[in-house]
Amino acid sequence: MADSPQEIQKQVKKILLIGAILIFFTVVTVALSYVELPSHSLNIIVGMILATIKAALVALVFMHLNHEAKLVYKILAFTVAFVLALFLLFYFSVSDPLVFKDF
Amino acid sequence: MSAAAHTHDHAHDHAHDHHEPGFWGKYIFSTDHKTIGIQYAISGLLFLLFGFFLMLLMRWSIAYPGQPIPGFQVINSIPGVSWVFNEMIGRWAPGGVVNGELYNMLGAMHGTIMVFLGIVPLGFAGFVNFVMPLQIGTIDMAFPRLNMWSYWLFFVSGIGMLASFFLGTGSVQTGWTMYSPLASTTSLAVTNIWLHGHTWWLLSMVFNISASLLGSVNVITTIINLRAKGLTWMRMSFFCWAMFIVAFLLLLAFPPLEVAALLQLSDRVFGSSFFLPTGLMEGGQHLDISGGGSPLLYQHLFWFLAHPEVYVLILPAFAILAEVIPANTRRPLWGYKAMVYAGLTLGFLSFLVWAHHMYLTGMGTMMSTYFQITTVLISVPSVILLTCLMISLWGGSIRFTPQMLFASAFLPMFGIGGLTGLPLAFTFIDLALHDTYYVIGHFHYVVAPGTIFGLFAGVYHWYPKATGRIMNDFLGKLHFWPSLVGMNLIFAPMFIQGMGGFHRRWYDGGKYFEQTSSVSNWFTELTSGVFGLFGMNVPNNLLGLNVLMTFGAIILMLGQVPFILNFWLSIKGGKKVKNDNPWDCTTLEWATPTPPPHGNFTFDIVAVRGPYEYSVPGLGQDFFPQWESSPGKAAEPSAVPAAPAAAAHH
Amino acid sequence: MDIPYTVTARPDTGLYNAKVGIWLFLASEVMLFGGLFSSYIFLRVGADYPWPVHELNVTLGFVNTLVLIGSSVTVLLAWANLKLRNIGKYKMYMVITVLCAGAFMVNKSFEYKAKFQHYSVTLTDGTILTGHLPHGYEIEFGDVTTLNLTVAGKHSAVDADPVDYVVPYIKGEAPKFKTESGEEIVLDKASFKKLRAEAHDKAVAKAKADGLKETPNWNVKLTAASPITFVLPPSKLLAKPTPGATAIAFRDGTTVEGKMINDKMTLEVDGIDLRATPDKEKSLAFDEHYLGEPWKKAFIDQREHAIAEFNEKYGDGKGGTTRDPLKSATHQKHMFFVPIHSATPEVHDHAKAEGEHKAEAHAPAEHAEGGHGGHHPEVHLERQHVHFFSNFTPKLNSYYAIYFVLTGLHGLHVVAGAMVLGYFVFFNGRMLREDPERLANRVEVGGLFWHFVDLVWIFLFPLLYLL
Repeated sequence: MADSPQEIQKQVKKILLIGAILIFFTVVTVALSYVELPSHSLNIIVGMILATIKAALVALVFMHLNHEAKLVYKILAFTVAFVLALFLLFYFSVSDPLVFKDF
Repeated sequence: MSAAAHTHDHAHDHAHDHHEPGFWGKYIFSTDHKTIGIQYAISGLLFLLFGFFLMLLMRWSIAYPGQPIPGFQVINSIPGVSWVFNEMIGRWAPGGVVNGELYNMLGAMHGTIMVFLGIVPLGFAGFVNFVMPLQIGTIDMAFPRLNMWSYWLFFVSGIGMLASFFLGTGSVQTGWTMYSPLASTTSLAVTNIWLHGHTWWLLSMVFNISASLLGSVNVITTIINLRAKGLTWMRMSFFCWAMFIVAFLLLLAFPPLEVAALLQLSDRVFGSSFFLPTGLMEGGQHLDISGGGSPLLYQHLFWFLAHPEVYVLILPAFAILAEVIPANTRRPLWGYKAMVYAGLTLGFLSFLVWAHHMYLTGMGTMMSTYFQITTVLISVPSVILLTCLMISLWGGSIRFTPQMLFASAFLPMFGIGGLTGLPLAFTFIDLALHDTYYVIGHFHYVVAPGTIFGLFAGVYHWYPKATGRIMNDFLGKLHFWPSLVGMNLIFAPMFIQGMGGFHRRWYDGGKYFEQTSSVSNWFTELTSGVFGLFGMNVPNNLLGLNVLMTFGAIILMLGQVPFILNFWLSIKGGKKVKNDNPWDCTTLEWATPTPPPHGNFTFDIVAVRGPYEYSVPGLGQDFFPQWESSPGKAAEPSAVPAAPAAAAHH
Repeated sequence: MDIPYTVTARPDTGLYNAKVGIWLFLASEVMLFGGLFSSYIFLRVGADYPWPVHELNVTLGFVNTLVLIGSSVTVLLAWANLKLRNIGKYKMYMVITVLCAGAFMVNKSFEYKAKFQHYSVTLTDGTILTGHLPHGYEIEFGDVTTLNLTVAGKHSAVDADPVDYVVPYIKGEAPKFKTESGEEIVLDKASFKKLRAEAHDKAVAKAKADGLKETPNWNVKLTAASPITFVLPPSKLLAKPTPGATAIAFRDGTTVEGKMINDKMTLEVDGIDLRATPDKEKSLAFDEHYLGEPWKKAFIDQREHAIAEFNEKYGDGKGGTTRDPLKSATHQKHMFFVPIHSATPEVHDHAKAEGEHKAEAHAPAEHAEGGHGGHHPEVHLERQHVHFFSNFTPKLNSYYAIYFVLTGLHGLHVVAGAMVLGYFVFFNGRMLREDPERLANRVEVGGLFWHFVDLVWIFLFPLLYLL
């Protein structure tokens, strides 16, 4: 954790930089959404990758997750695992890959 | 003006810090973890009793459909009581006969109250609040004020649930699972949808979930950050470990239920179709909905909570047993580490098994296979926990105090509950047994003679710490034996009925399903014969078991009378404890004065050894408390090296 | 006696209490929004209608994204300045953060308001007309002479209360009513209370005489001095009235018999969606009583134009296309969704229509304020042609349902975050003077929550507005 005045000054610059990057990525996301990629799923994937990058920047820099106590990572690791389980299992329960459609 | 008001406020706050709190501050709006724990525990016990009475009414209706509730005339003739009774229940019981509507309300509210307002508040919130901070050697929870809010939010949710009985619609009728689409579309034709039992149920659940969120954040933070000096993770009692895991389950599993509740509220109040498929019809009419949703979504969201909830219900019992059994066998807990790791594995896996409640929804081959595998996997840590507790009995010199009786009954009872669950893990067997009494029997064996016995053990065990007096031993035994007999008479016949095909929601107990209920076997013949000895005419087929179960429920009810007397009378009349550690235990809570004052410890407490050092060879006594360097002498704080600082990641 | 580690970190965990607490709380929040996002996935994958893309006001959403990112930066700057003890700057940045939250909510309220005023009507053949109901939708039910009240024998969910649920919808002055005993009354709270008490007495007497176990419901008839006409939105009734119904039931259980005078729906159409219509050219929308031939022609023109454009864009030079036109949602929309911006079709203005339709697919809510009728054709839909209608609220479809729940819950988080941060800057003056380090911890923890709110929005914006 940055506690000395110099380090905080340095952090302020970093914060402003990240803010600018976030705005840039937002503009890119909006622009790309109007470009018709070969399939709409591809649009969604690209959009989500951009959003994930933005979210990662917020989490790592704004929320100091780039240098946090181990314990926080442990808590978040479990949470992320369960959220992914939610996403995947919900998805597979609507479109089950093992269902034979031509039966 | 506002500045002046601030200074005034602050001065006020300041004054409060240095004064003894008055009656309200001390007993009602207290921030002390012990008071909050007791508040939670007593509320939980009262709700358990209330839920139990709802069950008695249901059992009456099952065994004697069409016959008036006994005592109906008497209740109706007492002014005041008759009004309350009629507004709550009597409105749907013309002449005292429970009708289907009322039976559905009773069923839904029995489930809700037992799970969310009874066992969790008593087993988790009550015990964890009272015992855990003492056991880790700290003065209070990390966020005492949030702790108070947690209790009062829970209180509001409880009042909301109870008040829903008094609304025009009565309380909710769609089962404690609130499955949509039925729950989304039923009984919407009312004058005011906001004054609807269903709406109140959903809103109460939102309060309940907020309360458990605050509580679990508090518990986890306290365990992580406030452990006494020297109390490393592996010196922490299994009680705290289990509660730590439960708190995580509550923290991470409840939010999806909140989502389910909010979405169902939206379906009912704003007319959305989250859980309603396209083209849904009711009574031959297309509903005025857009469709496009799915009932499966509700079940996913619901069971994502409700499966971890099963472990929220059962782990507190294991937690309590891990204290009660070593203390009463005078042996260390067998396999402490194995239990900790099994508990953690159990907690983790419990998030990944939820859809084994949904085999009948036609989720698809892959999903069913996946959930079968994880479900079978999760039985491994459960068995480890149970086995460790059983082996802990081996070679002990057991004191059969009431808490030990309950603890030792827990082991086989939970075993029956667990083993009867195994067949249900497999899709093909589950297809036949789904929604039958077999399932009811299975999970009631887990939570009723399982969890509730564990909780009773906990009450007997820590009662002396809270009051300074010991509960009466004879009344305790008078409580235990009828409870054990009653529980088994209620739940064991359910397996037989369930395999015969009895459906769980028959309010008349299967009277009109002759094909199913006319089956008889040696057990039903025996039941009929035994009742015959007392001059009672009980059918010799599966219907006869309904009567047997209802008698079990009545025995169970009578069995609780000694407990209630014992609980209240012992506060003033119980035997005084001989010292601060009446059971000769080893964990830190027994180092405090009795009852513990605000701030808990009178000396700087440190932990110098593991939690279960009983019968250490060569020691003058058969227990070696965690806080003592040699028998009878508290360890000096300087004896414990300071914990190394955690390396931050850079 | 103080609880340890409220300000300084515990050495072995490296965290102070509040920080452990907030991360746990955020973990729970991740699960909350995780549940909602997984519902979104579930609903979208399982949707049986074209999922709306770019249908919300992208500009408003974009501005809101900037506002939130900006406020995330300012809350960090506030924390840094507090650490450096630049109290003035700290306060300034905190106030800016709270103002940003306010701006976000104001934007959101514009967005919501437009949705509430915009309607979508599904006709029986699957055609969807969108537009505005200049007067709301109300039915007129007349020729009513008798009110049939049902006084419930027990406390019940539906019980006669005509003063609140029937009388307000009478067209014109409420007439006098004649009771069964021939008395003439003005139906108000006092007279109904008396009437109700009499009915209840009779019911109790009946129960006693017949040996019933409970008091039966009692019917009360009130005869109007002159025939009544009711004007009311159908949502005020217990059940949706069928076309040409001869009886309706009010929400308090009162039923009346009479004649449906008018249940037509007047809609100012701003869009025709033919994607779900089996035979698009014979759509009910082009019925001569509704939009008629000119708009049908406009639709055919638009479709041909869209096909030509598609072939040009994705033509493989051999007469086919490199993409399956059936699988391009955009192409389907260009072909079968006809936006309407004028009272009569503008035949030669495809390029303009396309552009507008992209940028503000349904923004017309705003121009409805200006004046009615002038910009849009008005149709009077027969009730039996209407299969389903709703404004753009959760009722409309699962997209709008999840949109409102997600953004509504996110909005609540914005409000809560602003309240917490506002509390720190406006009400924690003493702590600022006496224990600024502890306040800095508070601001850091509050900031963490605020960043999380931002983080959720980062996913919400593309999922709901763009993709």
